[in-house]
Amino acid sequence: MAYIYKQIRFKFFELLPLLLLFFISLNGNSTIDLKHFSINVHYILVYYWVLRKPQMLGYGFIFLSGIINDIVFGLPLGVNALSLLIIAAVAAYARVVTVRITLINDWISFIPALLIANFIYFLSLYFSNYSVDYLFLFKDSVFTFIFYPVLWGIFSLILNLTKS
Amino acid sequence: MDTSREDVGIAIRSAFLAKGSKQKFSLFALIVLSIIFLFVETIETKPLNYFRSFIKDVIYRGALVVSTPSKSINNFTDFVKEHVHLYDDYNKLKKENDDLKNKISETDFLELENSQLRKLIEEQISSSSNLMSARVMLDKQSPYLNSFIINIGGNKNIKNGMAVLDGKNFIGRIVDVNFFSSRVLLVSDLNSKIPVITEPSAHHAILNGHGKNEPTLEYLPENHNIQNGDKVYTSGKGGIFSPGIPVGEVKIENNIIKVLLFSDLSQITFININLENLDKGK
Repeated sequence: MAYIYKQIRFKFFELLPLLLLFFISLNGNSTIDLKHFSINVHYILVYYWVLRKPQMLGYGFIFLSGIINDIVFGLPLGVNALSLLIIAAVAAYARVVTVRITLINDWISFIPALLIANFIYFLSLYFSNYSVDYLFLFKDSVFTFIFYPVLWGIFSLILNLTKS
Repeated sequence: MDTSREDVGIAIRSAFLAKGSKQKFSLFALIVLSIIFLFVETIETKPLNYFRSFIKDVIYRGALVVSTPSKSINNFTDFVKEHVHLYDDYNKLKKENDDLKNKISETDFLELENSQLRKLIEEQISSSSNLMSARVMLDKQSPYLNSFIINIGGNKNIKNGMAVLDGKNFIGRIVDVNFFSSRVLLVSDLNSKIPVITEPSAHHAILNGHGKNEPTLEYLPENHNIQNGDKVYTSGKGGIFSPGIPVGEVKIENNIIKVLLFSDLSQITFININLENLDKGK
């Protein structure tokens, strides 16, 4: 009984990032928009799990989640999918070249990921004739970067639970 | 130097092209697929539109199910807030009711005069029977796009460009029609540009959305005499919407002419769609 319970708990925590990914896409919570700042949880989630345990968050699922997000928000299909895959690509590259896992390393390598992803996001919307609030995009990037360590801590906790 | 360049090349190849454990697709393939999707979005053909409508309908239903718990929590907090503010609201409504009672007789007279004048210039008085009601199905306010999804679409002959009203006030237009759902682009959105007319100053202008902030009036004549409190209506220019649908009232702040909408866009549950375009097409 204890073994079965342990197995279920293990499976649940292993599926948690994937469930979160689809939940925030379908529920339209990819960007938490508060009064004075906003945080792109979607980017942090994809970046962290592709960097730390890519087998828990397949690239196909990331693509699908981006497409769902585009539909829910009414953006041209492929915009979010592309920017999420760019985040995943930078995370995959950082994983290949990084030896030591530290918050500082992850945090610093998150900067180019954010810059490239938001640049691609802006370009895709620009060529699709969608007006973008540049200031919002900038604020969103800054606060997503600042908020990264908080989610890093929460996700590390989940990662430890899948190990124990 | 060459070795380090080779290392970077190997790292990039490994990150982009290698599938890795438990990965079914390489990142490169999916990035290319996303770009193809973006290009396909610009192509308008019937089979593609049917496919898009089907996928969107399915995802909207899924999103509706997933958002049920958060919606329930929001409803509950609204319910509590309403009870907390009950006494203040009662006093406010009582005062408002007294004011309205005083204005009723004046309005009746003006309405009669208006219909007589319209008859005189032989303008057709639009009836309220060309409105179709719908319910807001999903209201996921994106930071980039102010829009929501309603529960009727091609099945009820809804078409792109139709005016959407909250009661009798203009709030947006239909921008995407699926089989059983449609997307409404709100006037506050950055991509919304609506031809309007001010009253009593009678200036034509474009109502421009700004996302979170109030929409503003643009392309006004240089010597305009718009003042605080002027009413804004759709002008009907370009034949997109019927003329005379109330939109909001002017509020000038730091020389910027803002429009305070008559409807609170965050509190909309039911809407009316003006089917006039549909009638014209018949």
